[in-house]
Amino acid sequence: MRGKLAAYLGRLVRRNRIRADGGEVNATRDSGLVSDEFTSSLPYWLPPFVVMGLAVYGAILWNFFLSLTDSSGFGAPDYANLDFEMYARAFADPVFIGALRNTFALLVAFTVLCLVVGLVVAVLVDQGIRYENTFRTIYLLPMALSFVVTAQFWLWMYNQQNGLVNIILGVVGLGPYEWIGNPSLVLGAVVFALIWQFSGYAMVVYLAGLRAIPTEQFEAARVDGATTLRMYWRVIIPQLKGATISASVVLMVFALKAFDFLYSLTGSYYPPKGSDILATMMVRQAFVANNRAYAAAIGIMLFALALVVVAPYLLYQYRAGEL
Amino acid sequence: MARLELDDITKHFDDDGETIVAVDDASIDIDDGEFLVLVGPSGCGKSTTLRMIAGLETITEGELRIGGRRVNEAKPRDRDIAMVFQSYALYPHMTVRENMSFGLEESTDLSEAEITERVESATDTMGISDLLDRKPSELSGGQQQRVALGRAIVREPEVFLMDEPLSNLDAKLRAQMRTELQRLQEDLDTTTVYVTHDQTEAMTMGDRIAILNDGILQQVATPLEAYHAPANQFVAGFIGEPSMNFFDVDLEGDSVVGDGLDYPVSDDVRAKLDTDALVLGIRPQDIELVDAVESGHDVAVTVDVVEPMGDENNVYLTFSDTAGNETFIANVDGRTLVDEGDDIVARIPEEAVHFFDRRSGEALRNREFDGDADVDLSL
Repeated sequence: MRGKLAAYLGRLVRRNRIRADGGEVNATRDSGLVSDEFTSSLPYWLPPFVVMGLAVYGAILWNFFLSLTDSSGFGAPDYANLDFEMYARAFADPVFIGALRNTFALLVAFTVLCLVVGLVVAVLVDQGIRYENTFRTIYLLPMALSFVVTAQFWLWMYNQQNGLVNIILGVVGLGPYEWIGNPSLVLGAVVFALIWQFSGYAMVVYLAGLRAIPTEQFEAARVDGATTLRMYWRVIIPQLKGATISASVVLMVFALKAFDFLYSLTGSYYPPKGSDILATMMVRQAFVANNRAYAAAIGIMLFALALVVVAPYLLYQYRAGEL
Repeated sequence: MARLELDDITKHFDDDGETIVAVDDASIDIDDGEFLVLVGPSGCGKSTTLRMIAGLETITEGELRIGGRRVNEAKPRDRDIAMVFQSYALYPHMTVRENMSFGLEESTDLSEAEITERVESATDTMGISDLLDRKPSELSGGQQQRVALGRAIVREPEVFLMDEPLSNLDAKLRAQMRTELQRLQEDLDTTTVYVTHDQTEAMTMGDRIAILNDGILQQVATPLEAYHAPANQFVAGFIGEPSMNFFDVDLEGDSVVGDGLDYPVSDDVRAKLDTDALVLGIRPQDIELVDAVESGHDVAVTVDVVEPMGDENNVYLTFSDTAGNETFIANVDGRTLVDEGDDIVARIPEEAVHFFDRRSGEALRNREFDGDADVDLSL
């Protein structure tokens, strides 16, 4: 749309000039084409280009230089001597290692389980059941809720004395467990809550993927003698590769953003013990401990992690010719 | 190999509380090794019938037997059938080899070596041995078609089911595959049910053809029987290219009279006509074009359009002495030279004329044809 508009404006400009030249059409048209399109489209793409360039990529670059300084406390950072000291400090810091491990655990467990739950629900919803749209909405609804709301909600659910989770487990003679207070349980509890919130998204993506597979594929597999389970495993799920890749990228980005949820659990930069992730640690270092450079280094590493997550997706899209 | 019996098969679909009858009381016995073609216009229920045989649709009423065994309730995998889909339905993520061995892996206990052997022998038969490691997306339409057929024959099933398998091919390849499929079916001698809307495929391929319309079986017959002795007006109009010409006529004394037509009928023919409201049918190929009216079976006509096909001409004619411009077709030799606007005479030989009951469409008199007559092939 934007390109078309620019091209149109370009043509207008060109036409006027040709008229002013007294009809020297051939001479001006070819040479004018490139520069005309470029200049006439400038007002459209330049402002967002500048804003994005400075606010996002410029800030990332600045952050990288900040991470190379030793800045801490208040006052301007010293950009004179830059080194990788902060990165070395991070890998010697048990808090960082713990946060890194938690980040990975959250990323992997959350993404994989979300995909599995989403796929199973999508397959069930795809069986031509009644009230299909209602089910789809119900499963997708938690995603529309704010982290602040869901965190509070799960705090109540996980409450040691009268939380619903412990009451239900109590029926079969388990617990009560200290879901949030116990460092070895809290990460699992957080993952479970996030799966509740986001598996609906995976379901919608998979459902679209399932709908895109022609009915004949299901029928051919059934005529070929496959049981329902084998049919899905060998014929259908392999064809959901694209859906899996795009859903997992979004889910992993959500996992990296779990900061909001953890922050809301306690209302502070100190998440429950055992659930500290890189994002919470970075903010704490930056705004509580005032270790600007150290926080910047953590931020850069988190950024690198996000790049690693997104890279396979970009590669897949590139190979599929969509980029 | 097995006999396939459809016994009063009926299929109802429920559409928002309204019952739609897709197939109504169809009974067909298909012999062991027979090639039966199910043909009819789109929406006639032929695909539904095939899908009921495959087990992809439930049967509302009636009984379906394969090799004498009732299979109404059996899952597709327990029916020992293989199906070729119109879209081929090859698994896009699998190579040709994987596509073809999938069915054997899922439905038999064959060892890997046996599967490999059977797949390779099937690809030899289909002439696609060099494609074994390719994915479907790397194959041409014709190659995909061969893989789809190969995937069916490798299973060595009791019954082949084919749902318009040639309709996605271009005309030339379709004609070639038609012959090849016929030869293949003869070699394998497997009971085959073949669905098509193309009456040429039906005529050329089937041992017998079953013509369906509006969910109702019109006729099950050999291609020649269906062509020369159609059970009703629908079959007469559907089989044959170009379609049979029909004229609404009334029996008046010794002749049938219609718009622009006064056609004397012999006593033999009249004896068969038990109603006055009739439809006269004549195949375009049976109409001769002559110069002058010589008998009551000759009608003065005007040439409307000529479609030269090379070996033959389709000549669209109108009756000269009526105001109406309704045309009918005569199919004549390609060297017969007629031009638009020519006034000529169409000869409609009585032995080739069909009569149908105008209300029921039922055939009252078919052209003279003896399907069982011995043909003298000696020269």
